[in-house]
Amino acid sequence: MSAFLEHDAPVIVQGITGHQGMMHAQRMLAAGTRVVGGVNPRKAGTSLTFTGMDGTDVEVPVFATCQEAKAETGAQASVIFVPPRFAKSAMVEAIEAGFSVVVVITEGIPVADSAYCVELALRRGVRLIGPNCPGMVTMSGRPDQHGVNLGIIPDGITSYGPLGLVSKSGTLTYQMMAELGDIGFTACIGAGGDPIVGTTLQEALMVFEDDPETQAVVMIGEIGGNAEQDAALWAQEHMTKPVVAYIAGFTAPEGKQMGHAGAIVSGGKGTAQDKKEALEAAGIPVGRTPRQTADLMRELLAARSK
Amino acid sequence: MDLYEYQARELLKEQGIPVPEAIYAQNSHEVAEGSDQIGYPVVVKAQVKIGHRGQAGGVKLAHTRDDAILASEDILPMTIHGHSVSGVLVAEAKNILHEYYVSISVDRSSRDFDVLATANGGTEVEEIAKEHPESVKRLHISALDDFDIEAAREMAAAIGFYHADVEQAAQILLRMWRCFKDNDATLVEINPLAKIGDPDDESSKSLCALDAKISLDDNAKFRHDGWKRFDDSTGSDSLEHQAQEFGLHYVHLDGEVGVIGNGAGLVMSSLDAVAYAGEDQGNGITAANFLDIGGGASAQTMCQSLRIVLSDPKVESVLVNVYGGITSCEQVARGIIEAIEELRMTKPLVVRFDGNHASEGLAILREEHNSMIHVAPTMEEAAQMSVQLAAQAKENRQ
Repeated sequence: MSAFLEHDAPVIVQGITGHQGMMHAQRMLAAGTRVVGGVNPRKAGTSLTFTGMDGTDVEVPVFATCQEAKAETGAQASVIFVPPRFAKSAMVEAIEAGFSVVVVITEGIPVADSAYCVELALRRGVRLIGPNCPGMVTMSGRPDQHGVNLGIIPDGITSYGPLGLVSKSGTLTYQMMAELGDIGFTACIGAGGDPIVGTTLQEALMVFEDDPETQAVVMIGEIGGNAEQDAALWAQEHMTKPVVAYIAGFTAPEGKQMGHAGAIVSGGKGTAQDKKEALEAAGIPVGRTPRQTADLMRELLAARSK
Repeated sequence: MDLYEYQARELLKEQGIPVPEAIYAQNSHEVAEGSDQIGYPVVVKAQVKIGHRGQAGGVKLAHTRDDAILASEDILPMTIHGHSVSGVLVAEAKNILHEYYVSISVDRSSRDFDVLATANGGTEVEEIAKEHPESVKRLHISALDDFDIEAAREMAAAIGFYHADVEQAAQILLRMWRCFKDNDATLVEINPLAKIGDPDDESSKSLCALDAKISLDDNAKFRHDGWKRFDDSTGSDSLEHQAQEFGLHYVHLDGEVGVIGNGAGLVMSSLDAVAYAGEDQGNGITAANFLDIGGGASAQTMCQSLRIVLSDPKVESVLVNVYGGITSCEQVARGIIEAIEELRMTKPLVVRFDGNHASEGLAILREEHNSMIHVAPTMEEAAQMSVQLAAQAKENRQ
């Protein structure tokens, strides 16, 4: 069992017949994830052929609904690759089907739709990750088990180790996985760059705190909102494991959206400096660059092993 | 997307929220005509997407036609806090008895909708919160449950509206919520929500939205055809506009190093690294722009990106920072070569590749044997190098 989902858990892909869904279902399979089905009501009853990890063909059936896909395959998680205008109904369907984890990769979903689905997921006890995120990978420490790769995080950057990683940014996730690739991770979570997301930085810290295999956590934030401050406050009171952080956007101007829908400083609020100060006040060191942040983690681990 | 006051009040009016009679005008002729129609006195208000316009002289009371014309001639050419005025709103001046503040916005922390209100309105809510924190009430509307008139009445009473105003306030709260929801807004703010009328005549008193601020969720554009009417080119940056047409996230900044990368976080991180390098080297060089080519970018996307970045005359060098996830560094390298040939580029370019097909990408760049292309192994070194090159180019020019 990893922090977020069982190793070797079967998963489905919503939007598997689309360009993105198909490409990433193939990548997930090649990474050893058990993609056991897809959903598209118009192509229900058909199947798709992918290449598995060992080079053999893998037939993946397409179902009409999430509920049917779950009942037929026993899938525990769903990954959503559908365009923004269909994302709300895809999320609601996945949450109501009762998957334990629902990962939403789609960028550009209206915030009202995300707010609705996040609240629904919270009430149903479903872990929603994203939207507008690269997904999640978990790593297994046992040779007979595979972690899961749910989303678009490239395979093979890192391997199993004692760290947890949560990040608002996709490419900075990959960057940090590579920086600390030799030490390794239990799980890496892309929390997402939207104003409202299903799993916040704080909620990811809570999971890593409870996970016996994770010994320390790297958190990557960026301008906009208060997620870093909320995480800092919680960590100060409840976290027994060390955390190091990196924040992007110190030089971002006021009032400009920096790529992500949520990455904006408005009315002087949500600055990188405020976040850094809040984290440092909570005893969480903040690196100046991703490389320096990785070094902080190395020092911290070295000091602990003495 | 932020709306002008004159657009925001239209959306309030559509929901049946009382607003004063007003017209939007872009020249003094229209102002004169509108003022005559409304009747004096009128308020002439700068239409600009930034706060504190009153203190900047952007709001004037006019008792006569000549007053109104003079006021508009003052205000129309103004630039307020860097924002040029798009026009003026000429509104009937109301006798204000009391001012409330009410806003509904997206609450990123509680992940629902936040109603912020105070019975001491008028000024900026941040100032009220500083001076009278106890008077500012924060209430929530769930993203899942319905907000109805009963809930609105409870909220109006909790906010501290005077007893006589509670029923009308509840109606306005409910309509504000509909305005927020129907329009996919991220902010609907009425400040002041004023009690107006004759102080001696109870029956003349009522609540009226004297100023409004609305922001809409850009992600919801696909389900609002009507938003085309809000398209606004006043003061918008031409490079930002161009980039938008190619579907690129570009933000024009003020420095000398053009920055291109994949992923919003990595690009922001690169901007910071450039600024740190400028500090370290003591030359004050900073980034000229933010440009995110997104995931899975093609050679063509990269080529267009370089074209836009290099159209900025302030750019002295370019930093390309790509961590290939879905994006193939090989494609990015091909785009760079294409752009260099097409644009006959004369400015130095520093490239840092990692991840997907990084070594293939670097090999393509090496085969070019072009002295303008530099390669750095890490983001930090790439930032240092691009800053150094920009500083040199700047010096040579002077």
